[in-house]
Amino acid sequence: MIKTENLEKVYRTEEVQTKALNHVSLTVEQGEFVAIMGPSGCGKSTLLNLLGLLDEPDGGSLQLLGTETSRYSERQRAELRKRSLGFVFQSFNLIDELTVFENVELPLRYLGVGAAERRQRVEQVLEKMQLLHRRNHFPLQLSGGQQQRVAVARAVVNAPPLLLADEPTGNLDSASGHDVLGLLTELNEAGTTVLMVTHSEHDARYARRVIRLLDGQVVLEHSRSQF
Amino acid sequence: MLPYPLLLLYRNFKRFKSTFFINLLGLSTGLACALLIYLWSSDERSFDRYHALDGRLYQVLENRRTAAGIETQTGTNPLLAEVLRREMPELEFVATTTPVPFFPGFTLAAGGQHLNAVPKYADPAFFQLFSYPLLVGTPATVLRDKNGIVLSQALATKLFHSPQNSLGKAVEWQMADRKQTCLVAGVFAEVPRNSSEQFDCVLPFAAFKDQMQMGEVIKWDDDGPFTTYLALKQGADPAQFQAKLAGLLKTKSAQAQAQGRTLFVRPFAAGYLHGTYENGVATGGRIVYVRLFALITALILVIASINFMNLFTAKASRRVKEVGIRKALGASRAALVGQYLTESVVMALLALVVAVGLVQLVLPQFSALTGKPLALRWEWPLVAASLALALGTGLLAGSYPAFYLSGFQPAAVLKGKLPTRAGDVWTRQGLVVLQFTLSVLFIVAVVVVNAQLAFVQRQPLGYDKAHVLRFDTGGKAARQQAAFLAEVKKLPGVGQASSVLGGFLGGHHVEEMSWRGKRLPVATMLINYDLVETMGLHLVAGRSFAPQFRADSAAILVNQTLVAGLGMPDPVGQQLDGRRIVGVVRDFHFESLHEKIKPLLLQLDPSINTVLVKLQPGAEQATLARLRQLYAAYNPGFPLDYSFLDADYQAQYVAERRVAVLARYFAGLAILISALGLLGLAAFTAERRRKEIGIRKALGASELGIVWLLTGSLTWLVVGAIALALPLSYLLLERWLEGFAYRVAWQWWYFAAAGLGALLVAWLTVSVQAWRAARRDPVLSLRAE
Repeated sequence: MIKTENLEKVYRTEEVQTKALNHVSLTVEQGEFVAIMGPSGCGKSTLLNLLGLLDEPDGGSLQLLGTETSRYSERQRAELRKRSLGFVFQSFNLIDELTVFENVELPLRYLGVGAAERRQRVEQVLEKMQLLHRRNHFPLQLSGGQQQRVAVARAVVNAPPLLLADEPTGNLDSASGHDVLGLLTELNEAGTTVLMVTHSEHDARYARRVIRLLDGQVVLEHSRSQF
Repeated sequence: MLPYPLLLLYRNFKRFKSTFFINLLGLSTGLACALLIYLWSSDERSFDRYHALDGRLYQVLENRRTAAGIETQTGTNPLLAEVLRREMPELEFVATTTPVPFFPGFTLAAGGQHLNAVPKYADPAFFQLFSYPLLVGTPATVLRDKNGIVLSQALATKLFHSPQNSLGKAVEWQMADRKQTCLVAGVFAEVPRNSSEQFDCVLPFAAFKDQMQMGEVIKWDDDGPFTTYLALKQGADPAQFQAKLAGLLKTKSAQAQAQGRTLFVRPFAAGYLHGTYENGVATGGRIVYVRLFALITALILVIASINFMNLFTAKASRRVKEVGIRKALGASRAALVGQYLTESVVMALLALVVAVGLVQLVLPQFSALTGKPLALRWEWPLVAASLALALGTGLLAGSYPAFYLSGFQPAAVLKGKLPTRAGDVWTRQGLVVLQFTLSVLFIVAVVVVNAQLAFVQRQPLGYDKAHVLRFDTGGKAARQQAAFLAEVKKLPGVGQASSVLGGFLGGHHVEEMSWRGKRLPVATMLINYDLVETMGLHLVAGRSFAPQFRADSAAILVNQTLVAGLGMPDPVGQQLDGRRIVGVVRDFHFESLHEKIKPLLLQLDPSINTVLVKLQPGAEQATLARLRQLYAAYNPGFPLDYSFLDADYQAQYVAERRVAVLARYFAGLAILISALGLLGLAAFTAERRRKEIGIRKALGASELGIVWLLTGSLTWLVVGAIALALPLSYLLLERWLEGFAYRVAWQWWYFAAAGLGALLVAWLTVSVQAWRAARRDPVLSLRAE
């Protein structure tokens, strides 16, 4: 599903050059639930952005779903994102001007799905997330937990094979966090590959495998049983 | 339920209300300007275009070599049409006509009614060449009978109640001391307003030739005041015809060849907009103003679009997160560009709706200003032009924001932080500078144009134009001109009276004259006794004409420029082309101040019938009543149509006055829209630096210090704009002033006023925002972060 070799990312300002990722090589198989852990500034989010094609690597190779993407154009990356990737962010990243329904249907619009089918699929996923009654609300009218459920609904509405979650419980109370992690687990059990960035040991236990980063390098990989 | 893109727009507009209104106001005023100028310029462009043969219709012009370069004139020899008809098979129709205006004081009488009318004499093909639909008569024959006359619908209705009723009826025309009875041969529908020539009746040119006994005297050596029009046959090559025509005069007249006179054709409809020639080359005419106003409108739209760009990108910090999310969800850059362009185009279309309302509101004033009855007629050219304007403006305004916003890497903006790129700041600042540069330019233009117009008013003209009445006499007053003038002079309230050919100002015949081997083009003014006194001209040598000097019929007065040009040491008593100089008048401006004073000779002709009466100030109305009474006693039933010379003088500067008023409006709008943009930008700067302001205040910064912090950078931008605009405005307006032979000198305060004005407006705009930001409680600002 994912294979990186010597992946590199460097941030440059006028005076300083920071290596955010340093020769990161890892593999994630289809159907896995992997957690990426590490302290603040270790490069977790940078790695996730690269894997999600939200940013371009400065070196190394990145294979997603069996194809090399490190030299992809902006258009190709957008295409792959909308067909195969789902995102859940720490800060939900819902569009405030759109209702719950409109936020969730957005990926389907970009895929060119017809209005009737969009409606059906969005309602289905909202029902599953127990959000159907909130369909016409705007994000700011919802609680944090509800907002993150909307974000998860949006991430999975187009049934992507790979779901990327960046600190999905970071802004939630523990009960809501538990709900969201349960949702991710369910999705994983249904066949979606899940890659989650977290600094919470508790959250990482939901994953079957953990990759630990420090200063932009993979320092340890282990399975859930080795916590 | 709104369609999806409109729904998004609606929510975005709701979220950024003040930006929305600033943009709406700016774009709609810009578009309203554009619509007004479009209405005006399409009216200008429609002149003389309604003829069925348009495209094949031409006017013959003549170039002539003079000492001052090639001179171009519309007047042609009356023998030309006949030769063209005979020798040029590619022509379908040819007609010689008299130009309009040509005959002062022409009146028509029938059934005891006397009406002033503007006549035109024309060859039989006239109504075939030009599309003036005949209500009575047929185009091919209506001008065949020498004794016929073709009346306008209005004239026929006034004289005979209906066009049909007028056919074959007798009408007596009268001009100066001539009169003749003719029969109505036809009636034409009113000449459209967008015709460069307005006339009320057409008479056969053959009759004119007879009256003037031209048959015997006209030779090919002469040029003429007559206009020759022609239509090429379908498929005929204008260039080939042109080549044949160019060589025609030299085959007819050795003198014409010696004078370097050649003929050429110009598309008839082009004459209205492209009527000015310099040294034989078309250099513009009214088209200059059409282009100028189109340019100014485009600049106003650019200023309004810049507001949109600046406010859109300034608020981008609030929208970049959305860009990141959409991109993460798979939106392509093209989709985002499309979304933002849709937003700006819809904005522009909304602005168009408001603009149409604004145009309706100001159209009456604008029509009065331009002297055209303009109206919004929603036919397809206007619809297409409006939509194209809105679409173009929308795309222009939206282009930069669309490409700017959609260009961010999603990872960089997903956290909602706008990456600061030096280039963006520069672009935004550059746009503000551009806006204010244009605004300052407009302000300098207003100041300079008004200064020049004031100069035109103040300039000593060499004559006294105040309280001078001008009218054309007809009938008995014309036949007994001397007696009539003598009685006018006796009226209480009349200071002096005389007469002159034409209207004293402009339109004088220019001819080359020589004295002891020196040649000079000289303008000739035909005048009556007492003109020097009536107009307050100043004699510097000799005397003016007087009835006691019998030989004065062959005598002339000259101006100082002529004396200097020919280098006459002692002009009085000298002979110039067989005429004796009896006096020298001080130079006076007998043309507009666009023209340098030319060499002029004044020749006596007591029969000319454009009367000038100097009224004593204070009792003009009473004197006018007496004058009317006297005129009625001479010509019962004839109306006295008069104008004041002062108004004629002002009429020479109609175009400039229009520019002055429009420049004032444009400058006002430009500065208003720019200030609005600045207001929006200042609000965003204050918002963006809220935390910084909070920290500074917490550390003890004064409110005034904060105000300066926020206004300083924008102030420098405006100062930069002023520095750019001043030399630019100097260059552009210097070119405009070059069009005047007599012009105002540059003053330092023109620039100072414009610069300070712009700075003041900018400063007031920005400091209101800055002051509000400075007074905010720092605790709130810091907590918000």
